[in-house]
Amino acid sequence: MSDLGFTVEVFQNEFLPAGGSDVNAIVTVTSPDSGQPQQPTGAGAAEIIIIDCSGSMGAPQSKIVEARAATSAAIDAIRDGVAFAIIAGTERARPVFPADGRLAQAGGASRAEAKRAVADLRPGGGTAIGQWLRLAGQMFGSFPSELRHAILLTDGKDEHETPADLDAAIRASEGMFSCDCRGVGTDWVVSELRKVSTALLGTVDIVPDPSGLAADFAAMMAKAMGKQLADVSLRVWTPQRASVRFVKQVAPTVEDLTSRRGPAGPQAGDYPTGAWGGAESRDYHVCVQVTPGTVGQEMLAARVSLVVGADVLGQGLVRAVWTDDEALSTRINSQVAHYTGQAELAQAIQDGLEARKRGDEDAATARLGRAVALAAQSGNEDTAKLLAKVVDVVDAASGTVRLKRTVDDADEMALDTRSTKTVRTRK
Amino acid sequence: MTAEPPTVPIRPVAGQPAEPAPVPAETPALSSPEPPTVPIEAVTGDSAAVTLPPATRPCPACGQPVFADENYCQACRAPMTEEAAAEPAAGAVVGGTPVDAAAWRQSGAVCGTCGSGPIDADGYCEACGTKAPSGRDHEETDLLVLAGVSDRGLRHFRNEDAMALGATQAAGGPVAVAVVCDGVSSSGRPDEASLAAARAALGVLLAAAEDGQDLAEASTRAAHEAQQAVKVLAGPPGSTPPSEAPSATFVSAVVTATGVTVCWLGDSRAYWLDESAPAQLTTDDSVAAALVTAGIMSEEEALASPNAHVVTGWLGADDSGTAPHVCTFQPPGPGVVMVCSDGLWNYQPDAAGLAERALPAARTSPLAAARELVEFANDSGGHDNITVVLVPFPPAGPLPAGPHDVTRELTP
Ligand SMILES: [Zn+2]
Ligand SMILES: [Zn+2]
Repeated sequence: MSDLGFTVEVFQNEFLPAGGSDVNAIVTVTSPDSGQPQQPTGAGAAEIIIIDCSGSMGAPQSKIVEARAATSAAIDAIRDGVAFAIIAGTERARPVFPADGRLAQAGGASRAEAKRAVADLRPGGGTAIGQWLRLAGQMFGSFPSELRHAILLTDGKDEHETPADLDAAIRASEGMFSCDCRGVGTDWVVSELRKVSTALLGTVDIVPDPSGLAADFAAMMAKAMGKQLADVSLRVWTPQRASVRFVKQVAPTVEDLTSRRGPAGPQAGDYPTGAWGGAESRDYHVCVQVTPGTVGQEMLAARVSLVVGADVLGQGLVRAVWTDDEALSTRINSQVAHYTGQAELAQAIQDGLEARKRGDEDAATARLGRAVALAAQSGNEDTAKLLAKVVDVVDAASGTVRLKRTVDDADEMALDTRSTKTVRTRK
Repeated sequence: MTAEPPTVPIRPVAGQPAEPAPVPAETPALSSPEPPTVPIEAVTGDSAAVTLPPATRPCPACGQPVFADENYCQACRAPMTEEAAAEPAAGAVVGGTPVDAAAWRQSGAVCGTCGSGPIDADGYCEACGTKAPSGRDHEETDLLVLAGVSDRGLRHFRNEDAMALGATQAAGGPVAVAVVCDGVSSSGRPDEASLAAARAALGVLLAAAEDGQDLAEASTRAAHEAQQAVKVLAGPPGSTPPSEAPSATFVSAVVTATGVTVCWLGDSRAYWLDESAPAQLTTDDSVAAALVTAGIMSEEEALASPNAHVVTGWLGADDSGTAPHVCTFQPPGPGVVMVCSDGLWNYQPDAAGLAERALPAARTSPLAAARELVEFANDSGGHDNITVVLVPFPPAGPLPAGPHDVTRELTP
């Protein structure tokens, strides 16, 4: 990204009725296409792969076998010159390669050595994900690099530390590195891994069959290698006597960033967006509450910019215009409506699955029914298919559903982890 | 009449014009968001009284008087711009000097709404976010032979009206040309449509007047050129849906020593104003006018009906199917031709009422009179953009030497 010109587009209905105070906008941010093959960034990038080596990884044996193969595939996808390391996780964390707990520079020899070390991994021991994160943080800290990314694989519950231990480790890792999390099989806990991936600006997904791991790891690593700019923040300026109601990423997935606000000078806050690759596009829903102006007045309700340190990479303006023309003020922007629906869809799925676990069948049926209707309305076919594995759909349009008596655990977990995936709509 | 210099300003300016000391912002008459009201008698009784006090010039953003030694407006805080060198056709002036974000920054003036924030590069207050007055919010043009004022009004967030004024010397004497267009709010980019249309028509009419062409024919051609200019905004056919096609109303007046040629499409109007036989020279292309013509309603009832302001004729890519109307008019004697948008006549539709407000000031000080009419419309509610151009008849020199905007040169 030699040219750091991000494009920032704002989609909104700026017209508010007299007394109106809530300003909604969808902000689409697109990074520039570097237009050339990826250049090795050398010391700019660092990768750590964290492999669960707890005893359960040996049952069935295919889990550890496939995890070793997947790690090797990921190692092959690391660009020359990138610093990397492998961590084995149990109730403790152990550097597997390099064994001295530092980072190695990727090259033919170091890759071969790393793969030999990975081939020797044997299952045995417990699970303490917080320990794994802490070691990764230390190792990243030992090496100056801008793009710090980890892949974390587990197959089980975080049972050899307290939830508070895990939370503290996550907090200590925030801003240190980003982390994509994968759960293999169905014995791990979606909410635990989501906590990690959300805080560390990564993804979470299920790999139900160990044989799918290698392809998934290679793809994840390829994507990580495409990242070129780290620690990008979405900066939101608002006028005096205004407040940010929420800032959510809404595409490609729903992530509520509201509570992640950091200080950025008077009347402004920074929301972390992590690292960006070339020609990458994400949508954000920004909702600001302003002090109503008089009819005929125009106000800048928010200035939304993409920043790295002191550099502004691009910006867009969210406006508010008060009018007594109802034809203008009652219009709902199609992008705002669409993503409001997508965010509600994700919430309805999570609520519904939660209710189902509690045994509250009425609530589960109502919420999952709502999700089916929203998925159908918005054309979110992937989510509709996942929902159809958990409920019998009687009428998608009205959201009439029946809970399935028996549901495959993997299907339920897939629906849970992928509930935040959204679809885009025509601009 | 008095031999002493006038001491009554046309609007209540706090402080003494003789001592142009800076006025504190908290002075009620100037810090009020509502334009100060002026008793109409103050301007009708004594024509000398309408001369702007020499120590002030109008704010380019809101029109309020600003003392000569102040570099920003006490009412809206807009910076006073240096005269910008525009290069329109000889004798033609389109609008005034816009106040843009750069002017705000350069002047260091602060926001008129919160009184604290500087104005950012995008034209918004850095503290309270309010958009600073700018561009076409308020424009004044004075060519002496004729003058016009265009204003955003109080209820719209931008000015979608546009005016283009010109004056030239023809074989038969000076000729004044006025064009007013009102962008149709329900269309796309109405502000651009009106400006493009007004500018295009002015060029055609000035050239025709200089060449001694038939002015009725030239007016139809000007309306056609204006139509083309608006069509261009819509891009190639099919690129803009018909409902989004930019469109605008149109009215032009060419005033020579012997007569007036008026051309219009839509509900912007031309009037003849004098003391004995004031008259409306145009007939609206609107639902209200059709109802009145058909004898279904009285004018008053029709204007109050919900669709009264739906126009049935306009310029735009989505051709209204109505051809522009042309009429010529031989004034019975001296008077004033007024061209205006509905933002004014909504509050005073009949010619006699308008004549009473505008005369006699409009005969000798068309700019001051146009300001008064705009202020009257704002005092009446300012629900729409307001544009008023006044042309004293017969047009009398001196003509401006070239592209010229005397509103920035009112200092003695
Ligand atoms: Zn002003
Ligand atoms: Zn302000």
